[in-house]
Amino acid sequence: MQPEKFYYDNKIVRNFGIATVVWGIIGMTVGLIIAMQLYHPAMNMGNQYTTFGRIRPLHTNAVIFAFVGNAIFMGVYYSLQRLLKARMFSDTLSWIHFWGWQLIIIGAVITLPLGLTTSHEYAELEWPIDIAITIIWLVFGFNMFGTIFKRRERHLYVAIWFYIATFVTVAVLHIVNSVELPVSAWKSYYVFAGVQDALVQWWYGHNAVAFFLTTPYLGMMYYFLPKMANRPIYSYKLSILHFWALIFIYIWAGPHHLLYTPLPGWAQSLGVAFSIMLIAPSWGGMINGLLTLRGAWDKVRDDVVLKFMVVGLTAYGMATFEGPMLALKQINAVAHFTDWIIAHVHVGALGWNGFLTFAILYWLIPRIYKTELFSKKLASFHFWIGTLGILFYVVPMYWSGFTQGLMLKEFTPEGMLKYPNFLETTLRILPMHVMRSIGGGMYLFGVLVMTYNLTRTMLQGKLVANEAAQAMPLEPIDSVAKESSWHRTLERKPIQLMVAALLVILVGTFVELMPTMTISSNVPTIASVKPYTPLELQGRDLYIREGCSNCHSQTIRPFRSETERYGEYSKAGEFVYDHPFLWGSKRTGPDLARIGGKYGNAWHYNHLMDPRLMSPGSIMPNYDWLLTQTLDTTSTIPKINAMRKLGVPYAVGYEKVANRDLDKQAQGIADNLYLDHIKVASNKEIIAIIAYLQRMGTDIKASKTITK
Amino acid sequence: MKYQRVVFLFIFLFIMQPAMAANDSLIPGDVQNYIGYGAIVFTLLLFLVVMLVLLRTFKVLTRIILKSEGYTEEQIVTEMKPVKKEKKPKNDVWIKLLSLKPLSEEKEILIAHEYDGIQELNNPTPAWFMVLFYGTIAFAVGYMLIYHVFGIGQLQDAEYKTEVALAEIAKKAYLSKSANRVDESTVKLVSDPGVLASGSVIFKQTCAACHGDHAQGVVGPNLTDEYWLHGGNIGDVFKTIKYGVLSKGMPTWEKQLTPKQISDVANYIKSLHGTNPANPKEAQGTKETDNAVIPLKKA
Repeated sequence: MQPEKFYYDNKIVRNFGIATVVWGIIGMTVGLIIAMQLYHPAMNMGNQYTTFGRIRPLHTNAVIFAFVGNAIFMGVYYSLQRLLKARMFSDTLSWIHFWGWQLIIIGAVITLPLGLTTSHEYAELEWPIDIAITIIWLVFGFNMFGTIFKRRERHLYVAIWFYIATFVTVAVLHIVNSVELPVSAWKSYYVFAGVQDALVQWWYGHNAVAFFLTTPYLGMMYYFLPKMANRPIYSYKLSILHFWALIFIYIWAGPHHLLYTPLPGWAQSLGVAFSIMLIAPSWGGMINGLLTLRGAWDKVRDDVVLKFMVVGLTAYGMATFEGPMLALKQINAVAHFTDWIIAHVHVGALGWNGFLTFAILYWLIPRIYKTELFSKKLASFHFWIGTLGILFYVVPMYWSGFTQGLMLKEFTPEGMLKYPNFLETTLRILPMHVMRSIGGGMYLFGVLVMTYNLTRTMLQGKLVANEAAQAMPLEPIDSVAKESSWHRTLERKPIQLMVAALLVILVGTFVELMPTMTISSNVPTIASVKPYTPLELQGRDLYIREGCSNCHSQTIRPFRSETERYGEYSKAGEFVYDHPFLWGSKRTGPDLARIGGKYGNAWHYNHLMDPRLMSPGSIMPNYDWLLTQTLDTTSTIPKINAMRKLGVPYAVGYEKVANRDLDKQAQGIADNLYLDHIKVASNKEIIAIIAYLQRMGTDIKASKTITK
Repeated sequence: MKYQRVVFLFIFLFIMQPAMAANDSLIPGDVQNYIGYGAIVFTLLLFLVVMLVLLRTFKVLTRIILKSEGYTEEQIVTEMKPVKKEKKPKNDVWIKLLSLKPLSEEKEILIAHEYDGIQELNNPTPAWFMVLFYGTIAFAVGYMLIYHVFGIGQLQDAEYKTEVALAEIAKKAYLSKSANRVDESTVKLVSDPGVLASGSVIFKQTCAACHGDHAQGVVGPNLTDEYWLHGGNIGDVFKTIKYGVLSKGMPTWEKQLTPKQISDVANYIKSLHGTNPANPKEAQGTKETDNAVIPLKKA
């Protein structure tokens, strides 16, 4: 047989590489801006489109799906071709994939500041973009499997197992967490409500970390690290064990994001138990990487690329040990809702994803440009300022998290909260936030230096758009020798491998989601809980638009420190009409689950206009545009109809009179404000949001909980 | 002599310290904090830079000294490179724990296949790793059994009840020993300056936002006039603060202020009666003249 000649497509790799860097800079800059807004609210530039609640999702989406996403495609397109000894299946599909993905991100950059959001974290994009993501993701999968089918290598290397698992799982996660009922072109309601919606979201959210930030990067680590260090992978057996264990166990751990919420106890416990079991499979990846460097540690001292890899792997090890610890209820009770979690995710994001991406860029760009890196010194500088930046970022955040977490739980001997005013704890941690933004700034500066370095590298070389290679074609299947093990057999059957991975991840999915969706005892209903009035529903959608849930939770945990501070702890039955749930994941400000009736309408009016009038020193931005913008009531009818379709018991035909009720309630609030000398028209947005705030948590506030 | 001077300086600074601290600064406290934290960060960075400069200096100095001692350029370069230590063979326990094979025997466990030049070793999974893995599985099984089969562990609702019950016992024990027990029926009107000063601080922190700096009334009613919505005697004021009047927007303070603090601030409010602040809010409620404090005659 003659070896076949073919060409690797380097242009698509280069394109994804450039996109990685560009979006990285944008995403991190937005991150720096919102970090500064947390101690200097005026950094929102007095503008609703750049206010924290709207651009925090922009930061997370940009760094996860734009920076990391493009880096994944860069790494996959480079390594897949070489591991399979084949050019990508279709240049057209590669092109559609690249531009489709960039358009999706541009869509996010436009819609998120406009307040078009579903409120589900890391899945904020509205339904038209969700559909686009599904299509582009399938294009990616099709292109990947097409390449696999025309491969010249019989067996699939461990990196490709991770890529396949990434592809199927992300597809499942994205589709299930995007089941929405459209109300209009840019507004939809999630089909699930309350506790069920929360479970779906955090099953998704947790596994977005697992299958978008972890498995593709492990796959890339398995290709690039041995190439960089020129060493064999430490243990093939460990690869097999930790791959299957990781994807099986990860999918179960989602409920640890919902500890001490109204989620059924058995689901919470499963989340804790599986999180603990995740330690070893996660570390399997780290030690297989670090032990691959065995005998090459002298290279690490001289090679900045390997330095990035080592710190990245270590950060991965730290984050994946800390994660299970945070999933323990006792630790979670203090850490949840605080900056501790911000520190935790940034160890992973800046250390693991960031540093691995930088290492791959430094290694790959000179290779596809047939040149040397422009400056090793600058790369080394990047490494050090990046590492320092991470430290300056996470240390203050841990400090801040411990401080606030403990302050909020502290009681005096008289049995009173030591810090009854939430704001007092916020003011205490502001200096830590200042330091954090310095760390973030250093990290971003390092990225800018890298950009300069890579640009100069590209300019001094010339892209080898089509790199020549040759390999023997695959022998016919019947001439292949019998395999030494069952796994070896599986490695040459891509479809079976994909189906196996799919089945493995569906086990945990079904066991946790199905009973919660179908067995009613998991979500006990409460008779006094009624659907929102039309005005409250509109107010709730404004709450979603402004991204209030980015800073305010809506679930009171069953702790004395929280029931003393906020009132009776939250019950599952209270959320049955909440499409979507708005529990939030961070308390930059206090919980709002029972804010209803706590203050007067005038207090809310003044507070939203300028929070510092009512709470001196508050870091909440002004929401003064709510005072002047008119509420769009034309959407009331489709919204009521959609909610009824989702099972909210509005009477048939109610949509026709809904706006009459809305006007009446709005007039009542406007009249009430007038008593306090506040003159505001009843058709302004502020009236609707006050109506919603005053409703929150009042269903079971007056009467005792009735469960049936 | 020198010692004495230092000791005197410290004594002087120690004595001066309260005077300096008492000196009201034009810079507000939080800005001072920022300056402080900024200074710390700056110092740390400066420290780092100094270390780097020193390192560089030592390198340059070594080079100069070596040159002056007649070393050639090549000798200097070799001299400046740190000597690689001979690797000691690690002890057996360590090797066993990590299940490591000596690098020299690596060839024997190299698997025949390769992917784009990447080879794999047939190392076993390290023993400690398997112990960790099985250990966490045992933990997880035990966890589920304890909470959901044997019912030994408390789930969150039960845990909450226990927490509150224990706290109640501790609180009762503490309060039975302290004099901090005051309620709307036992609160007394006093004009002790200490009480009023403490009340004034609480007022500024918690009440001024709605009732105004001088209790002239903003969102909430004027507290200095003779008109009261919910009763003007000390017991009524105490009660209004303690339980709030939610329908009118007055929050409940029971959970945030101790009985002593409520009593202090109630007394402070009573002491403001008739102070006629600027921009008063119009009268609300009913006029009460049978107050214990008789207002001064209007001039």
